[in-house]
Amino acid sequence: MKKVKVLILRAAGTNCDYETQFAFELCGAVVDRVHINSLLAGRKDKIFEYDILALPGGFSYGDDIASGRVLANEIKNKLSDRIRKFVLRGNPVIGICNGFQVLVKMGLLPDPELFEQIATLSYNSSNKFECRWVYLKIEKKIKNESNCIWTKNLPNVINLPVAHGEGKFITKNQKILKSLNRNNQIVFRYSTKDGNKPAYPLCPNGSIQQIAGICNIKGNVFGLMPHPERYIFALQHPARECCADKKYGWGKIIFQNAVDFVE
Amino acid sequence: MFRIEVFMKKCFKNPKGSQVLSDISWLGIKNIAKIEYCPLYLIDGDVKIEDVEKIASELLSDKVTEFCTVSRCSDLNSINVNSSVPSLSSSVSIIEIWYKKGVTDTVAESIVKAVKDLGITKDVKVKAGHKYCLYGTISRAILDTIVTKLLANTLVQEYEIK
Repeated sequence: MKKVKVLILRAAGTNCDYETQFAFELCGAVVDRVHINSLLAGRKDKIFEYDILALPGGFSYGDDIASGRVLANEIKNKLSDRIRKFVLRGNPVIGICNGFQVLVKMGLLPDPELFEQIATLSYNSSNKFECRWVYLKIEKKIKNESNCIWTKNLPNVINLPVAHGEGKFITKNQKILKSLNRNNQIVFRYSTKDGNKPAYPLCPNGSIQQIAGICNIKGNVFGLMPHPERYIFALQHPARECCADKKYGWGKIIFQNAVDFVE
Repeated sequence: MFRIEVFMKKCFKNPKGSQVLSDISWLGIKNIAKIEYCPLYLIDGDVKIEDVEKIASELLSDKVTEFCTVSRCSDLNSINVNSSVPSLSSSVSIIEIWYKKGVTDTVAESIVKAVKDLGITKDVKVKAGHKYCLYGTISRAILDTIVTKLLANTLVQEYEIK
């Protein structure tokens, strides 16, 4: 069987690319970490040699101006045709933490067809960098009805770590927020261990409606502030919690879902 | 030369201002009611105002939570505080902080790169700075204390109090 190929796009300041590569490789994919300068200088259709695109976490371009802004500006102005085509033909795309900020600020989420910024990830309500394990609720309704290919086979509540200073998800207006709810695009919400509405610090950033991760309507583009690549093995969890196979963490399921989808 | 100021929209909290207010209270200074922070940018070069407005709206400000103002200025010292933000009165003090000449301004360097990415090919020079509006009656000596202890590294930054 042909191996699934993953492109991990990095830039100055990206720092979660190796862990993301490890996660995809563990799931059976072949991974290339490609610097954006290399992608821009190479063949114009190079991106189409890959099945999955991942924008990993980090502090791209030092988070200068705002988190993810400079990289989002670069991709939008230099790669927009190619990246939009890649997304619209259904290839899985994931943005983790800084990658999520890039996807939202370039307008690829929540609506890649519109391709305009209609939401943002702003400063945490605490005004501080927040770094801890949080609970994420995949609401029954969402789990059953969302098209998100990345979050299949997950239980109602999972644990993942967050580490960010600008993760407060805000939409441009109420209409957009309603449409995200109506279309089941809100994939993860911060929650308590029992799946209830959390207060700070379990909701680390003050996101509207505790939003931690969203997808596009089609379900192939997924962005989230928590780091699934940091919970691949049960041993990475502070309480050594694992999913059914006793070895792996819930983060691995997310990467496995995308690889299985392409296969 | 153009001056760009970026403000949080009124419906959103000014997180950095709130953080500085909290830090100031730890210095034992209590008579400040509110602080608003906004990033400042100076852009110089053979660019039209339309280009600068594009830089301001598409690059330097967030379309959802922020708005910006663009004005012409002759030099760094021509402070042009926009009247729509703090209503200037004797109870508002404004502090501006910039890197000293010769100090590497990494944010400015990122902006120069991002301006090229925007498709503006002309060479621009950029400076990035900080503006704090402090609401309350505060003596010059206290303001100097706030700046030197909290807001600026005077080894590499210079400041002005208005």
